[in-house]
Amino acid sequence: MTLQLERAPGRAGGARRPRRAPLHGRLRPGYVAPAVLLVAALLYAPFLWTVYLSFTSYDGLAPPAFAGLRNFGELLEDPALLTSIRNTLIWVAGTMVLPVGLGLLVAVLSYDLPRGAWYRLPFMLPYALSGAGLAMVWSPILSHDGIANRLLGVDTAFLQEEPHNTLAMLLVWTWQQLGVNTLLFVVGLQSIPKEPIEAARLDGASGWSLFRHVIWPLMAPLTAVVVGLALVASLKTFDIVWVMTQGGPGRNSETLAVTMYRETFVASQYGYGSAVAVLLTVVAGLASYLYLRGQVRTA
Amino acid sequence: MSRSLTAALTAAVLLAAACGGGGAEAPRQSKTELSLYNDKGAWSKYFEDMGALSKQRIGLSVKPVGHTDSAQYQALIKASFRAGVKPDLFTWQTGGMLEEIVKQKQVADTTAIWQEAIKNGDLSQDLASYYTFGGKQYCVPLNVAYWGMFYNKKIFDKYGLQPPTTWDELVKIADTLKQNNVKAFYHTSVLFSFVWFEQLLAGSDPDLYDRLSTGKAKYTDPGVVQVMERWKSLIDAGYFINPGDKTDPGDVLKNGKAAMVSFGTWFNTSMTQRSMQAGTDYGFFVIPNVNPSLPKTSVVFESGPLCSLVKAPDPEAGMKFLKWWTTTEAQEKWSASRGDVSANPKVTIADQAIGQITKDAGSGKYRLVNRYFEATPPPILTAALDGFGLFVTKPGEYRKVLEDIQKAADDYWSTHQ
Repeated sequence: MTLQLERAPGRAGGARRPRRAPLHGRLRPGYVAPAVLLVAALLYAPFLWTVYLSFTSYDGLAPPAFAGLRNFGELLEDPALLTSIRNTLIWVAGTMVLPVGLGLLVAVLSYDLPRGAWYRLPFMLPYALSGAGLAMVWSPILSHDGIANRLLGVDTAFLQEEPHNTLAMLLVWTWQQLGVNTLLFVVGLQSIPKEPIEAARLDGASGWSLFRHVIWPLMAPLTAVVVGLALVASLKTFDIVWVMTQGGPGRNSETLAVTMYRETFVASQYGYGSAVAVLLTVVAGLASYLYLRGQVRTA
Repeated sequence: MSRSLTAALTAAVLLAAACGGGGAEAPRQSKTELSLYNDKGAWSKYFEDMGALSKQRIGLSVKPVGHTDSAQYQALIKASFRAGVKPDLFTWQTGGMLEEIVKQKQVADTTAIWQEAIKNGDLSQDLASYYTFGGKQYCVPLNVAYWGMFYNKKIFDKYGLQPPTTWDELVKIADTLKQNNVKAFYHTSVLFSFVWFEQLLAGSDPDLYDRLSTGKAKYTDPGVVQVMERWKSLIDAGYFINPGDKTDPGDVLKNGKAAMVSFGTWFNTSMTQRSMQAGTDYGFFVIPNVNPSLPKTSVVFESGPLCSLVKAPDPEAGMKFLKWWTTTEAQEKWSASRGDVSANPKVTIADQAIGQITKDAGSGKYRLVNRYFEATPPPILTAALDGFGLFVTKPGEYRKVLEDIQKAADDYWSTHQ
């Protein structure tokens, strides 16, 4: 038996297509079934289970007991959650300014330099480290008797006092993320058609005005991707904080993802932890949706 | 066609694999190697050594599965109760943590092992109380420990210091060290943040300590507030190293970053691992009471359990190992390799200072109090560890810390009295 390979059906005219799809087409679900099953079993099922748990009181041992909206009610009154939200917002804002903003700056300054890749290489290397590995490396550097204090000639408890601890960890995050953002922006800059830039130059545009009025608008689609990725990544910040401060001392450096983990696995309040997870998902989903919708409209 | 068939078959195989866990149980087979899940990753070598001995003696070897993050470890063990790979043996905590898994009928009953061990003199009746729920015993002691102060002997010798016998002498030692730019004490903002609270409260008013752990006293009571004020005054006096220091406490003591570190006798294992010699490089003393009028010196005691599950892969093999674990032969090896005390009173302890505290504790010289970590119900403990972690960084906030812990205690005791 031979299968007829078809082109994608065009809507506008052309030869009349057979009504019955060939066997190849009818069996398409079979091809995607393994992936769908895996995703459903490993992603959607746990997600739905978490949503269910958020409406229960559950200690991980006795069967979950339905608790209605109590967990969400407690969320609203939990001062630790407010701290967590505040820190998460610092992470989001900081990520936009530092890894993304500086990434753009490095990309713009280096993309058309001869051997520019060599200038960018040092920024790229830390990206090879995992979040936990990164935190392990930086913890002793930023500890009270660490190298940072000695080099700067200060006596600051970088990881002990708020908001120093969140800001210090944000710098560590920048050290890692700057390179990949730079790389993405360079790709964007290199893919911009040369003609409009040259035309603008002939019209006398240069420097800031060239960037602001020509390059930046042309890069908008890629910027939307970089900012969108950074937005979601910063909202779910966990590994650096957990390894460096465990959200402390006294819960003052927790982010939403750390609060979720802590409530679930440290405090064994699986229901409450799941409610934080649902909140985090809603916040991340909503922020991404609003941001991307704005970008699409602009485009 | 063949590709479609392959895709369909793959899907079927994956589905079967995904559903495999819920199928009929395979017949249980006798095991010769037992998995020993634990949150003591650094002790793998000692578990392996014990496994080599048990293989010789009872034909069961041990494969330690060590974790270092206790929260992650506890979640893993709890998850194994419902599904997935079940450990043959696992370590846990006494107190509320053990009680909650016993209530779920997950832990194998070890009453027979305890009865025989008590009859043989391998375990004491006093210790059984930490393992007894509803008149039955569960698990056996993995370890026991008494808490005291480890000190760097070279620093003490350098400044002509002797282990103190009164609280005032201890403070005087801290003062002398301070004058010589040496930090007297270690403390931390993570996990073991409770140590000084526990010690100061037990040494000031052990009855209040017991009442606090059973919800009969409040964290905002004057006696508790005074303890926090005393703790604050010690921090303010500059006796402690920075609580955010990430150096391992074993290295803190070895390097002299702090002259004294308060831990359980299991800290001796850290000294052994660093090739430090008892009596030459370091020493151990019982911390004197803050309140000299108390009839007995308060000593913090802890015991950690080694457990097996009701639905363990091979329950008989698990029980056989636990029974062997309590014997003098097994405990001699376990105690000697780590340089720690043993739950078995017949075991002789090479380290003089640690041997002495074990002997004295056994003869009733001390007022033993259950370690705060086990004595405090888990939800209150979680709040307290956070609170003390904040306190050591910002001692001025002690009242807010106590109020926050009491709030968690009120929540807990409102449903658990």
